[in-house]
Amino acid sequence: MCFKNLPIEFDAAGNATLKPGSANPYSYIETPAPTPIEDDPARMREMFARNGAVRRVDFDPVTRVAGALAFHTVVDLENRQVMETASMATLFRGYEIILKGRDPRDAIFISSRACGVCGGVHATASALACEMAFGISPPPMGVVARNLLLSVEYLYDHPIHLSLLAGPDFSEPAVRETNPEIWERAQNTRTTGRKMHGYEFMSELMTDLTPLTGKLYLEGLYYTRLAREAYVLIGGKYPHPQTVVPGGVSTTIDPSDLNEIMLRVIKYFDYGRKTAAIWDDIAGFFYEVNPKYRDIGTRPKSMIEPGQWDDPYAYDGTFANCDDWGRRRWAPPGVIVDGEMVTTSLQMLNAGVEEFVEHAFYEEWTGDGQSQRFATDPSGNPLSPYHPWNKETIPKPTATSWKEKYSWSTAPRWDRQAMETGAYSRIYAAALTGGADFRDSPYLNSTGHSMQINLPKATLPNDPIEWHVPECWGAFERNRARAYCILYTAAICYDNLLLAYDLLRKGGPDAKMSTPYKIPKDHQIGVGLWGAGRGYLTHHMEIDNGVIENYQILTPSTWMASPKDPFGNPGPYEEAVLATPLLENYEKPEDFKGIDVLRAIRSFDPCMPCTTHLHMDDRTITREIISCACGSDGPHEH
Amino acid sequence: MRVLVCGVGYRFLRDHAVGVHITDTLATQASNGIEFEDLGYHPVGFTQNLQDRPPYDRIVFVGAVERGRDPATVTTIKYDHVLPPDEEIQERVGDSVTGSISLDNLVIVAEAFKALPEDVWIVEIEPADETWGDGFSPEIEAKLPEIMETVWSLTKL
Repeated sequence: MCFKNLPIEFDAAGNATLKPGSANPYSYIETPAPTPIEDDPARMREMFARNGAVRRVDFDPVTRVAGALAFHTVVDLENRQVMETASMATLFRGYEIILKGRDPRDAIFISSRACGVCGGVHATASALACEMAFGISPPPMGVVARNLLLSVEYLYDHPIHLSLLAGPDFSEPAVRETNPEIWERAQNTRTTGRKMHGYEFMSELMTDLTPLTGKLYLEGLYYTRLAREAYVLIGGKYPHPQTVVPGGVSTTIDPSDLNEIMLRVIKYFDYGRKTAAIWDDIAGFFYEVNPKYRDIGTRPKSMIEPGQWDDPYAYDGTFANCDDWGRRRWAPPGVIVDGEMVTTSLQMLNAGVEEFVEHAFYEEWTGDGQSQRFATDPSGNPLSPYHPWNKETIPKPTATSWKEKYSWSTAPRWDRQAMETGAYSRIYAAALTGGADFRDSPYLNSTGHSMQINLPKATLPNDPIEWHVPECWGAFERNRARAYCILYTAAICYDNLLLAYDLLRKGGPDAKMSTPYKIPKDHQIGVGLWGAGRGYLTHHMEIDNGVIENYQILTPSTWMASPKDPFGNPGPYEEAVLATPLLENYEKPEDFKGIDVLRAIRSFDPCMPCTTHLHMDDRTITREIISCACGSDGPHEH
Repeated sequence: MRVLVCGVGYRFLRDHAVGVHITDTLATQASNGIEFEDLGYHPVGFTQNLQDRPPYDRIVFVGAVERGRDPATVTTIKYDHVLPPDEEIQERVGDSVTGSISLDNLVIVAEAFKALPEDVWIVEIEPADETWGDGFSPEIEAKLPEIMETVWSLTKL
């Protein structure tokens, strides 16, 4: 029984059914949001009395994240606590509206534009949704080609985050400015991973995390290049591939393509070891300096992970068999609640998802739960009216109010609980799966509490690498797990490269790249369940008369940048920042930089919608990201 | 002589597609030494690509940039290679690797990593319509021949 809050029970055969006795089983009574401090005169008077120690600090925009995120806080600088948080997605993504009425195959190319990093996985999730709706699946080589594309895509994603986005928060300039006493200590603290990364002292490592000039920053840029070069050998373009199609991949692969990819992927064997050692040292050092760093960005270990990298001989594109082919993935699906795996079933993962809009700039679409398109999924499992297959995107911009509506992100929940998701939920779920339930791989071994990664030796010592499920959960552990995911992903890519060579050698139907198909004219639904580099991603599609009737994209940052839900629970960013102690060194309130808040937020690897500018009626709902900074020797206008 | 003309923008955003439309159209007239490229991809990637190529004598960037001018205003700028503060460059690298496509990011990131030649020109067009879709606003549509001519003239050293 994986659900505690949804009205779903299981019969003796394990089939999910609605609990009897309720005419409107998914209805709920909204818990009023707490009154924001700014709207509470008594608390405001108390704040003034404390002489500036309590103040509103808004991070708008939160820099070094993808796209447009703003974050509102009220902080108590005297007690070093965060008192109030609100996460605001400040752009509207209109893809669901754009896709209505289009050829379902258009979704592959259009949805890819939803992100400038994860374009390939959006395209793939669309292709998977099409395959389910069309009743087709790729030949094994088509699946392997997809696995290769989406492993090198993640080998682009993870270095970006660790080196360019999160890394600078632990660099010499950041630490010197916000905690000079820690910088002093770093200069006298020897690292533990110097055999792998080469840094004798923590201060040297921190210096090389410095943006623009640090060797680790520049090395991160270099590794994004290698991954892109590998990607385009099959995808044609990055980040928006031209070859992802329903039923496989619309290109050919020969051994020289695979050699070119292999030459690049093996470089991540050393880079992954080095990066894991670096983030082990960063976490270990900060924990030693002050154990409270374990609480930066902490929240319950509740995560959702749809999995990715299909077994080419198991994936059949059907919803009926998705539990089986899902569990055969290199990264198996899982829902983890408070550190415990509650299901590895893709059908249950899907059935537990709902989206709420009480605090988002959208209209509720169900009529208080009275109407829904689908009462069950294709296998007969109950579906909520708030489930993505039942959802309609109805934008309704209004003024921002912390108590009412303040974000363009909906509030997705699984079993009505806030979930986080990311590279770390992938390795976490895979590590918990354990033993015989985890697919055979010569390079990966899931123990039930850790993930052992055994790759061939490159140039660094071939010491055993093992990521352990951490006791505490917070910003440092998110970053550490993401660092280990470079090696984890490289292992999967390597495994699939060897499979591809083998398929090429054998030839025959299994070595074909794609499957012919026709677009059905009758009513069909499909879902693409495939996690992005940054975590959970699903595309729910409904087609009729050969065109898209409804399309819903649910992304990692929708889960995590979520506003409060109708049950009074904050979204993951909000929850994590609320729990963050302010360990920064400041004497006066004016000196406060918010580094611990930013470390907490950035550890989630936020990816806000960044490619859409839309207008609704006469109200502009876009925000200009750029500003002029080009020099000129005199503009000439005409 | 090597000249690279770069169209910058988003294909599905009406007037923001003008840069890539210009390079698509002029690409048919590419000849020895004059190259046209769709730069609807991220500036760090472009910078790394540039570092791999033989040097260009001139690079011309063309794209829509919103700066509050009258719609369809065309501004031609000879780039002076002045960079903003490091903190802003760092933010733009972050924007770049996470997918923001903008003419400013492209020029600043490429300059910061020393990938640009001395002779760089920028042709900016003030967009009138930023809604999703194909085609251009009437204002931009009317200016297309002029923009085309401006860019083409800059290919001649």
